[in-house]
Amino acid sequence: MTQGRNPTILEVFQQQGLSRRAFLQFCAATASLLALPAVRAAELPAKLGAMPRPTVIYLSFQECTGCLESLTRSFSPTIENLIFNTISLDYNDTLQAASGDAAEAAREDAMRKAAGKYVLIVDGAIPRLQDGAYCVIGGKSALDSLRHAAEGAAAVVAVGTCAAFGGIPYAAPNPTGAVPVQDLVGNRPVINISGCPPIPEVITGTIVYFLSFGVPELDVHRRPLMFYGNTIHDRCYRRPFYDKGLFAKTFDDEGARNGWCLYELGCKGPVTYNACATTKWNNGTSFPIESGHGCLGCSEPNFWDGGGFYRPLSSGFWHGNVGAELGGAVAAGAIIGAASAYAARHRQKATSGDK
Amino acid sequence: MSEAALPPLETTGPRFGIKKPEQRHDMQGDMSDNERIAIAMRHFVRDFGAVAATWMESCVHCGMCAEACHFYVQTGDPKYTPIWKIEPFKQAYKREISPFSFFIRALNLKPKVTADELEQWQELIYDSCTMCGRCTMICPMGIDIAALVGLARHGMNKAGLVPHELWAAAQRAEQEGSPLGATAKVFQERVEWMGDEAEVEMHMNLDEADVLVTMSSIEIQKYPQSIAAVAKVLNHLGMRWTFRSDGYEATNFGLLSGNADWQKDMSMKLIDAAIRCKAKLLLLPECGHAYSAMRWAGANAYGKPLPFKVRHISEFLGEHIADGSLRVKKGLDTTVTFHDPCQVARRGGVFDPPRVALEALGAEVREMKDNRGMSWCCGGGGGVISIHRADELRYKAFEIKMRQVDETRAEKLVVSCANCRLSFDDSQKHFHWDKTAQSLLELVADNLAD
Amino acid sequence: MDLLNIARGPALQWSLVVFAVGVVWRLAGILLLARKPDYTEPRSTNTWGGAVRMIVSRTWSKREFLDRTAFAQTIGYVFHIGLAIVVFGFVPHILFIRSLTGLGWPGLPSGIIYVTGALTLAALAAALVRRLTNPVLRLLSNVDDYFSWLVTVAPVATGLVAVAHLGARYETLLAVHIFSVCLLLAWLPFGKLMHSFLVFISRGTTGALLARKGASI
Repeated sequence: MTQGRNPTILEVFQQQGLSRRAFLQFCAATASLLALPAVRAAELPAKLGAMPRPTVIYLSFQECTGCLESLTRSFSPTIENLIFNTISLDYNDTLQAASGDAAEAAREDAMRKAAGKYVLIVDGAIPRLQDGAYCVIGGKSALDSLRHAAEGAAAVVAVGTCAAFGGIPYAAPNPTGAVPVQDLVGNRPVINISGCPPIPEVITGTIVYFLSFGVPELDVHRRPLMFYGNTIHDRCYRRPFYDKGLFAKTFDDEGARNGWCLYELGCKGPVTYNACATTKWNNGTSFPIESGHGCLGCSEPNFWDGGGFYRPLSSGFWHGNVGAELGGAVAAGAIIGAASAYAARHRQKATSGDK
Repeated sequence: MSEAALPPLETTGPRFGIKKPEQRHDMQGDMSDNERIAIAMRHFVRDFGAVAATWMESCVHCGMCAEACHFYVQTGDPKYTPIWKIEPFKQAYKREISPFSFFIRALNLKPKVTADELEQWQELIYDSCTMCGRCTMICPMGIDIAALVGLARHGMNKAGLVPHELWAAAQRAEQEGSPLGATAKVFQERVEWMGDEAEVEMHMNLDEADVLVTMSSIEIQKYPQSIAAVAKVLNHLGMRWTFRSDGYEATNFGLLSGNADWQKDMSMKLIDAAIRCKAKLLLLPECGHAYSAMRWAGANAYGKPLPFKVRHISEFLGEHIADGSLRVKKGLDTTVTFHDPCQVARRGGVFDPPRVALEALGAEVREMKDNRGMSWCCGGGGGVISIHRADELRYKAFEIKMRQVDETRAEKLVVSCANCRLSFDDSQKHFHWDKTAQSLLELVADNLAD
Repeated sequence: MDLLNIARGPALQWSLVVFAVGVVWRLAGILLLARKPDYTEPRSTNTWGGAVRMIVSRTWSKREFLDRTAFAQTIGYVFHIGLAIVVFGFVPHILFIRSLTGLGWPGLPSGIIYVTGALTLAALAAALVRRLTNPVLRLLSNVDDYFSWLVTVAPVATGLVAVAHLGARYETLLAVHIFSVCLLLAWLPFGKLMHSFLVFISRGTTGALLARKGASI
């Protein structure tokens, strides 16, 4: 059937015993997930159906593997569907069976064969201090690996907040000098899929969109607008409680049990862009707020240093002891004020002898 | 103006004051502009205590004070906005003494006041302000604008920027003992004359008395019957009282013209006289600013509490009628309306006693629409009536008073301040009005029970 | 550090410090000037009563003045009360105050806050029109008056724009709103906005002095 060329995605589906109908269902589900307009949705089967499975290289650096765990829980497309039918995942050090020099060589080979065309997925941040010595895999620093891999990539997808913005390693005091992918990759399109971890379908949906239509519309932080276009607050089902002024004050009070707004308990929904409130997690089961915990803001830069998960967003974002500072300010004001009054009275005395 | 020749008095007609000069000398002394400014600034600065500073820091430019001032309300001219009258004073404060004055001077955020500005402001501080205090009643920040005008006059006076007639009257008062020619000699003569005319026993220069009686030059010169009236009342009360030729002039043109030193001199004359005759009460005549000067500032001129009480004749009459010691007959069987002198009522705290007296005389008191502390000023106080070039403005202001008096439909109009009386008389002539202001003191004196 | 974190962090912190220094400096610089003793015989010694009386009674014009002052006073109150409702009634604001002082209280529904904010803006606009057209106010007004107006309008306007998500990303609008509050705090001690403190001191001082004389308060 394939005659020396790589099989197309449709052909791969069929090889798996899935009918064309199943393939079309996959396209429809994906189009719906991506909220594609009808014209584009109609294009999806043709585009995906006609292309061979693209090479995808997945590199992991300073990460906790949470993003990969999330990815494997994608419902649509499933991870199996994704890696067997839609993409050719030629390197992922967690999922692959191979290891050691052979695995590294296979990666280099795949990168060479698909040079200029493969998609590079990165999760985890990249430490810069000590010449990148804080993350070394197979004798090569993450710094060097990323630079080398990005050269032949058609695009780089930074999955997870660590890759997108620096995440956990980047949080104060950032002892390893961790930086996000976009700080190191300047000459290739970078798509950030932030989140700690990102929603599974957001990862897979973005990849499928990219394969079909190229780089999607991105926001100022290079995140796909189709998933990161609205704040949690603007899509939250608890919003009516916020608007009515009904807030949970502690985690098990009447308000909490009644599902009231979690703003007072530190929810960062108003400044967090993600699809949690609409797409949700575990195939639409729930999301943190629905489970009774405020949004951490995990898809935003610097969310670890945002003042505290349980301090309300509008709390003062202080450094140091504000009370002492203001006390000192009051004292300083009193001294300067007294000095100005003293100087003024002196000026007055100087004139009081005149006629 | 030479010191030797004092300006002539206006003795004919309803208005007794300084004669309208052919050539005005609204600038005194021959200092240069720079000197004037420097002196004015120095004296402004002396007056910026914590209280005045609080006021000058508090203005929010709401403009409400204009709505309370008879001069603005009747002309619609924004320059009569009360707080605007002290604008140079306020600028000087901000530049010289305020908490941020160092920066204001360093960055020239508020420029120095100029001699031109002060000359322009003369008419605002003197011609169009009677210090009546109505603006103080409206200010949402509680600024006592009237008091600030009084303070501003100090610097103007030292800089020689007082309106001619006011300065002339004050100079007369300091040199002769009276702004209107009622020297000690003239006073004694008039007392004797009234004693004969009204057949009232007069006491002059007693060594010891319980009450020192003071008069205003307006009464001495123009309404001398007041001398007889007060004597009658005190004799009727059987009090041990005296006039003293070394302390009789209750008006204080130092206060009015803004000369703080002369203000003190004039107060001390009365205080010393009262101490000399061991008086227990210093009785002030029907005069408004005399009350402000002696009752609410006299002890401060003295530097410690006065060893005697100070009372206005209207409160004295009301209190003695109320406690039964002064018996009067109901000889005033008519409707009256009472004009509250601004300094005695709104600024001084005397409201009920005149009404007590009038009711005891049998009158039905009809209050004006705005009465007691809210009463409108007659327009003549604070020295304004002495300034001829301010006449047109004063008449305009007076229209409010006329209207309010007429609206009460009262038969008689009663006042208890000779300067108000002078203003009413002058305006009555100007407007051909049918109401003649009556003196409360004279009415009481005419109706003493037998 | 991104714009929002700068706004709600160091910018707000420093502006609070400037606010504290400035307010106390100005008050101390005024209240520690010379005071002259008054030796005259008081008519009343209840000067504190007079102070309180004037503080309370000057909140509204006396009957005799009302027909000339009611309009301006009403506009003034609409925006003062509106500001108070928005500042002290909107939960995010209350939580900010709580983070600073430990004091909190229940808030109002957002809809009421937004409507109040709009009314406040309208009243502030009316006040500006009045200041620009009334001859007395034109004479009196200076840079301080107009700048203070701007500094007061900005938080209201930017707050409304932020909740309406108009013109930029929410975090940016929120940062601008917070910067405008920083400006207000930093400016307050130096211009006429200081009346927020002086009103009590000035009314109280005059009330005390007038009560001593038994004069009209």
